[in-house]
Amino acid sequence: MARALWFAVLVAGLVFGVFSLAVARGGAGNSFGGSSAFAGAAELAAGYALLTVGVAACMRPRQARLGAILVAASFAWFLLEWNNPAAGSAFVFTIGLVLYAVAPPLVAHAMLAYPDGRVGWWPGRLGLALGYAGSVLVLGLLAAVVFDPAAQGCAQCPRNLLLAGGGSSGAYGSLNRAGMYLGLTWSVLLILLAAGDLVRSTPARRRLAAPVVVAGCVYLGVVAADFAHSLHRGYLGNDGLDRRLWLGEAAALCALSLAVIWAWVRARRTRSALARLVIELAESPPPGGLRDVLADVLHDPSLQLAYPLADGRITDARCRAVELTGEVTPIVRGGQQVALLSHRSGLFAEPTLAEEVPATARLALDNERLQAEAWSQLEDLRASRARIVQFGDAERRRLVRDLHDGAQQRLVTLSLALRLARTRLGPGMDPALAGRIDEAEAELRDALADLRELAQGIFPVILAEEGLSAAVEALAEEAPAPLEITALPDERLSSSVEAAAYFVVSETVRRPAANTLKISAVRHDSRLVVEVEGDSAPAEITDLQDRVGALDGTVAVMRGPGGVATIRAEIPCES
Amino acid sequence: MRVVIADDEVLLRDGLDRLLTEEGFDVVGKAGTAGELHREIGLARPDVAIIDIKMPPTHTDEGLVAAQEIHASHPDVGVLVLSHYLESHYAMRLIEQHPGGAGYLLKERVSGVGVLADALVRVHEGECVIDPTIVSRLLRRARPASALGQLTEREREVLALMAEGRSNKGICERLFLGPKTVEGHVTHIFTKLGVGESADDHRRVLAVLSYLRSAPQQQA
Repeated sequence: MARALWFAVLVAGLVFGVFSLAVARGGAGNSFGGSSAFAGAAELAAGYALLTVGVAACMRPRQARLGAILVAASFAWFLLEWNNPAAGSAFVFTIGLVLYAVAPPLVAHAMLAYPDGRVGWWPGRLGLALGYAGSVLVLGLLAAVVFDPAAQGCAQCPRNLLLAGGGSSGAYGSLNRAGMYLGLTWSVLLILLAAGDLVRSTPARRRLAAPVVVAGCVYLGVVAADFAHSLHRGYLGNDGLDRRLWLGEAAALCALSLAVIWAWVRARRTRSALARLVIELAESPPPGGLRDVLADVLHDPSLQLAYPLADGRITDARCRAVELTGEVTPIVRGGQQVALLSHRSGLFAEPTLAEEVPATARLALDNERLQAEAWSQLEDLRASRARIVQFGDAERRRLVRDLHDGAQQRLVTLSLALRLARTRLGPGMDPALAGRIDEAEAELRDALADLRELAQGIFPVILAEEGLSAAVEALAEEAPAPLEITALPDERLSSSVEAAAYFVVSETVRRPAANTLKISAVRHDSRLVVEVEGDSAPAEITDLQDRVGALDGTVAVMRGPGGVATIRAEIPCES
Repeated sequence: MRVVIADDEVLLRDGLDRLLTEEGFDVVGKAGTAGELHREIGLARPDVAIIDIKMPPTHTDEGLVAAQEIHASHPDVGVLVLSHYLESHYAMRLIEQHPGGAGYLLKERVSGVGVLADALVRVHEGECVIDPTIVSRLLRRARPASALGQLTEREREVLALMAEGRSNKGICERLFLGPKTVEGHVTHIFTKLGVGESADDHRRVLAVLSYLRSAPQQQA
């Protein structure tokens, strides 16, 4: 229905233009478009451009109001010709007298109301009110009421249907002058308002509205120039300069129509990008894959996607730190930044894109952000586990040092004191007492041996001081089964890595075994791979898994034929 | 014999001083840190320095480091390191870094004054001394069938004494054997183990210890 209506409007507008041009050509001397074929073409081009763009806008969602204003402006543009003395009909002539100056405020209205057809700002509304009042009321209706064409020397003019009484040439002149002052005022005022609004608006809105506002301001500037030019004459006429200015207005209106169309073309490109985004996202990109999808769809290989985490870090979906460079657009939802996009400058100049991309990718964005949070928590947990193990090792080493420095040292001193006491007593001492002292010394020796074994089991000094290789070689001297050591690292590794590797070996080789155990510890790039192969793999490796897992490593027991089992640990180690 | 004692534990240092003095040694200096030890050695010119393996500041292996420095600055001064650690690794490190006149004894040996005195004399004479507990642990360790299994009981005794750092003369005295017999055992041992025989006692200790520590597979 609406479509048919707007089609009718389009046809009516086309006919209206042809009719207006015919009127103009009838009285070429008093017209703008009738003066030459070129002027006629310019008249139709500007009017029809506004008409078609207006009708098209009416059929788009959210732009019907703007379309209506543009269609009205196109009709108004043609009405300029209707106050021609050669109009022939009193009705046409009178309408021309009232509405010949209504195009400028309508165009200004369209410019200020772009893109949704509403002027939400009171200075703008005030300026427009002045414009309509000056053009329709002062220059149009009131002037028409006092305008007697015959008295003004226009013998062939049709009758002015609005003329009340005999008319007043003085009042007519005053009204015209007032209308022109008013016109000059509001047109300059609206240029300033529109330019100021453009400067103050967001970059995205500025990029969207700039072409339309610039074309509109040029048009209003030409209109203001014509008001200024007509002031000394006392009425709006059509001398040579007027006609040249009018051609400028026509060009500006064509440009304004093109600017509206350009915005639609950009929106269409955006929509196709968004459509591709929807299709790509339907394929469920892997974790961290959203960046690639966005970079591809938006044609920006430099695009980066990052998530601000609760702890203030900025990371990708895998919780790796991201350094954002270039223009950064935050994606905000519910007042909270959910993601940050860095991209080439101007990528989000199209506001639809800036709004629609986050909306379209919402689920994928949430998914990746939650993943980043989860990774971050996992890493915190891992770091915490590593700290617990490190702390435990530090405690073990402290304990061992205390045993060596404290208990062991005292026992040695005690045995020395006993020995001294015994030599003091001399060769003539009671044999029973000598026997007691010998027993005490033997006890002390056993206690020292026990203490040494205890300390060794808690944390071998040789592991701390000389490293993994020396410690594993030392294990071979006390293990119940023979060990065949095939490879050990030449270099020292971090103490937690060495401790983890050592305990994997020591837990295995301390168990009774019938045959030789093969041991190797080899560094492959950033991983230390420890393997113990034989018939003594422990059934329970939870403790080892805790220790190695705290370093983000893995332990597993692989059982082969003939009871041979291999315990294999992979431990990440920094170089 | 002139002796310097380095140990950060005052009671033990003084006790050792009294014990050695009673045994007829001349204790010419005492030190609590590696720095004091160097000064005492420069001033007192001892024959042997008894050094605790761990001293301030880190209480780990300062004694071994000091031994190496003494070898560089006073090569004629013997070094006897007393250690809490039953580690052949440290013993090897000591006699590699201080060739000739170096000993590694467990600390509790201080009460067995005979062992201590014997070690001091041997170190003074330029021999190596390895604590018998370390040697017996090496000999006892689990290992695949090897050439060691082909040694006779007597040859194993000789091997242990060689590993403790004793010279042929010392072995003769310990086992009450004649020099020719011991030489014969030694030659047999080296042939069976496939280790090149060395006339130099110090090299011989290193070769034997390395053999025992590495536990090579028997040649097929």
